[in-house]
Amino acid sequence: MDLDLSEEQQMIVDMTQSMLQEHSTIEVVREMEDDPKGYPDALWKQFGELGLNGILIPESYGGGGMTLFEAALVYEELGRAMAPVPHFTSCVMSAGVLLEAGSDAQKTEWLPQIASGDAILTPAWLEPDRGYGPAGVALQARTDGDHLVLSGTKRHVGYASSADRLIVLARSEAGIDLLLVDPSAPGIKLTHVLAQGRDPQYRIDFSDVRVRASDRIGAPGSGWDTWNTVMHDGIILIAAQSIGGADRCLEETVEYANERVQFDKPLGAFQSLAHYMADASTRIDGGRVLVHEAAWNRAQGRSVERFAPMAKLFCCETYRETTRACAQIWGGVAFTIEYDQQMYFRRAKEYQLSWWDTPYLEELIAADVLDT
Amino acid sequence: MDFDFSPEEQKFADEVEQWLVDNHDPVVMDPHRENFTQLADTPERRAFMQKLAAKGWLGMSWPKEYGGKEIEGVYEYILNEALSKHAAPQIGKGVGIIGKTLIRHGNEKLKAEFLPKILNAEVEFAVGYSEPQAGSDAANMQLKAEKVDGGWNLNGQKMWTTSAHFADWYWVGARTDPDKSKHDGLSLFLIPMDHPGLEVQSLPTIGKDTTNQVFFEDVFVPDDYLVGKRGKGFQMISEALDLERFTMFTLSPIADRTRVLVEWVRDAKRDDEPLKDDANVRRLVAQIVTDTAVAKALSTRFVCAAKSGGKPPTVQSSQYKLFTTTLSQRVCKDALDITGAAGTIMEGQDEAPLLGRFEGAYRATMNETVGGGSSEIQKNIIARRHLGLPKNF
Repeated sequence: MDLDLSEEQQMIVDMTQSMLQEHSTIEVVREMEDDPKGYPDALWKQFGELGLNGILIPESYGGGGMTLFEAALVYEELGRAMAPVPHFTSCVMSAGVLLEAGSDAQKTEWLPQIASGDAILTPAWLEPDRGYGPAGVALQARTDGDHLVLSGTKRHVGYASSADRLIVLARSEAGIDLLLVDPSAPGIKLTHVLAQGRDPQYRIDFSDVRVRASDRIGAPGSGWDTWNTVMHDGIILIAAQSIGGADRCLEETVEYANERVQFDKPLGAFQSLAHYMADASTRIDGGRVLVHEAAWNRAQGRSVERFAPMAKLFCCETYRETTRACAQIWGGVAFTIEYDQQMYFRRAKEYQLSWWDTPYLEELIAADVLDT
Repeated sequence: MDFDFSPEEQKFADEVEQWLVDNHDPVVMDPHRENFTQLADTPERRAFMQKLAAKGWLGMSWPKEYGGKEIEGVYEYILNEALSKHAAPQIGKGVGIIGKTLIRHGNEKLKAEFLPKILNAEVEFAVGYSEPQAGSDAANMQLKAEKVDGGWNLNGQKMWTTSAHFADWYWVGARTDPDKSKHDGLSLFLIPMDHPGLEVQSLPTIGKDTTNQVFFEDVFVPDDYLVGKRGKGFQMISEALDLERFTMFTLSPIADRTRVLVEWVRDAKRDDEPLKDDANVRRLVAQIVTDTAVAKALSTRFVCAAKSGGKPPTVQSSQYKLFTTTLSQRVCKDALDITGAAGTIMEGQDEAPLLGRFEGAYRATMNETVGGGSSEIQKNIIARRHLGLPKNF
């Protein structure tokens, strides 16, 4: 047993950290809130140049070919910096779907562009009034010769206005399909929706959108299996991102608790407040090891059927609970836009509700523990 | 980064596992004692400890000159986890708190007298720190040790001495220098438990074990039996606690309770339907399993910190103790909630679900968030030593 990072892993952390400190300052993060595009070109360029976009993409497709463990280290830093980039949607979920089920032609066309940052792909998954599971995918894909015709509505599609392709989960005769769709195709309407985490999210209405059957990723009806597999990688990274955010939030709070004086004592000298912070640090430090264990198991090629949902369940609740408790220490200012605490507070809840929420994750774990 | 044991560690873990299977003894290994089988005052337990000694498994991390093997503490961790997983007694405070403190600070006479006996499991200790006025405020011990010719005369009272009713020797903190500050006026002594000036009174607990209060009346202790330097008692106590805290609440019995609960839920029925189909039960199980994985992660964290050498893993063990003992109680509470009214049937009766394992554990674990430093003390340690917050009391 050994929890130390290798020299190369530590270099990735240091490199990501210093790039984010320079290019994803709190001013940049604030500027991007509610922006319909939602990421600065300069920052995105840095991601491409440092090879972060291709971190999970094999070298043969222009990526760095690293494992989910290295990606988890990067995601903790993204969480700390609240970095506004379409990395998760494009470089994790979209690249993941293509790697898992894409044809050679699809992979050759898109993966090198994702790795360089020249192309942005984004999944279109959730729908209004529908859940996170396979039953939630209702957008209709009607067969018409060698085309599929899409009708329905997607929501929570990140960075859609910048996307070169959407990866749409649709219901066809065969079951659930994953389809590469050009967002500028006729019949597609994008509407910017403001979200709590202030990342750019879109509602997309599809009305008789024609897609070539050859733009299907994987065999007909195999879409959910692919999506489910890639989600298990993705949620490990959201867990890492949440730990990073929680850790940074706590750090800033500890600093404040040492400075701010009430009743002639620093706030940190009040046991009730110190204990909030001690509890948060315990959850953060435990959650971080759990994420590392999940990502490490994935990198070893072992099943993360149980580890991945456990990591997201625990780490997202840790982030949420940390921001709630820290707000008690900041007092009234936590509530003001001027201070940064509210930025963590909003993101924590959004991460918890995005990419599978608590009840869905609990059911995945329960099924693995009780039904298999 | 590696979450597996090394091949050597795994080999040792396998060897211990096999040995425990081969040497299974239902009298000694009673899961209903919930992590406290070492407190059973039975000849079978003493005989079992001597078998452990014969295997050379006591004092493995001690220096070779004192009969140890100088191997990494991780092997003692592996051994303790395996022992507690099988509900067998753990290697105990003799090897840990007392042996290690004697090796670091004891005089030659005490080392020669006690270390071989500890390695051979020929001596049982009771530890006396707590007093009526010294609970969480451990440094506030009032037990008086007055200097007399050739030794010390002790008068006063100890509380919560768990093994006093069967131990051979008493490891006691007492105030030798009342004029000095609270932390600098304490010294450590070794006293034979059958000293006529000691009176042990049983204090039955809500769990299966009794604890004791011990009264001291003119207990004479020769100079040689003052451990280490006079006035350094509290430092030695803290140092030993730093090294030993994580051995007090091993993960295996807690993880095993989660496993037992899951197995039970898989097969149980209510109103002729599988209990596992109940949405609330499924949520509770998912949460318990997840938090048990976090407890394991926190234990991995202190084991790795301890392996790396350097400072004792004080913060890591405080975080582990805080989280794991809280979880331990919650598993018992949730298990009772899942079993419903049947959960109240007292342990030991055939009618009780799982023979009342959780009814008993619910009581037995009540003390876990208090003993060995309360949750609040752990939070103070984390706040000050890990987060750098000011002293808060």
